[in-house]
Amino acid sequence: MRHSVNRPPTPDAAEDQEKEPTLQEIINIKLIESGEKERLMELLRERLTECGWKDEMKALCRAFIKKKGRNNVTVDDLVHVITPKGRASVPDHVKADLLQRIRTFLDSAAL
Amino acid sequence: MSASREDNTSPDAQLSSHFFGDLLDSIIVDIASECHRIAKLGLDRNLEDEEEELRLSTQARVRAADPSNSGETNSKYVVDIFGQTHPPVASEIFDCMNCGRSIMAGRFAPHLEKCMGKGRKARLKAARNSSAAQNRYSRGSPASTYSPYSNSTSTNRLSNGSTGVAGEELSNGTYEEP
Repeated sequence: MRHSVNRPPTPDAAEDQEKEPTLQEIINIKLIESGEKERLMELLRERLTECGWKDEMKALCRAFIKKKGRNNVTVDDLVHVITPKGRASVPDHVKADLLQRIRTFLDSAAL
Repeated sequence: MSASREDNTSPDAQLSSHFFGDLLDSIIVDIASECHRIAKLGLDRNLEDEEEELRLSTQARVRAADPSNSGETNSKYVVDIFGQTHPPVASEIFDCMNCGRSIMAGRFAPHLEKCMGKGRKARLKAARNSSAAQNRYSRGSPASTYSPYSNSTSTNRLSNGSTGVAGEELSNGTYEEP
């Protein structure tokens, strides 16, 4: 039989044998599929807005934009500006609450 | 998943932190994107405009605090924060609701004084119309412009109120003569 077209082997078979999904990936999928990730994100958004964290971040952005000129700024720039300060300044009670909920989910879903 | 319970504390905490970080990163990207959009579309009150406004308001404040500008006499030359100048005397004309005449806004207060009570004719008129209410008015204050019972003894006070202009207005006689 002549193969008229060069065709790589069908991926499915190869993939299953090469890579097993990590625990992280499995849990991530479960989070998303159950809708819990969405709920957690909304909750976190709400908490961060209430405590003024979001406003702080927006103020940082505005200051940076003002300094650099609004036509020279990219989204990437802004992400790099906010991320270190943002991660560090989440209030403890907010972080604790979210971590608790995530852990509860892990306990209930990780079987 | 066959992870045993004992192993769960440390990797579990790590896992939770990982997912928390994940959520946080998404939110950060959202905020960055939102700010970027607002900046690019100029929706946020333009930053340059803000600085311009600040500058203008400090200028205005300096001018207002400047002692060489006495408010009344120089009001023709002072520009307010909206860039408008106002004439020293308000020049709009409208109708007095008491007597129905056309009055210039800047002359309205003195007109009202005569029209409503301080002048001789108005007071006489008020006295006739409200004799029953005489007793209720405050009698004690000589400064009161509404003393309706002061018909006969009022000659002294009249001379205060009637200037040359007032004389003109009253003698035009749009009030009913008592």
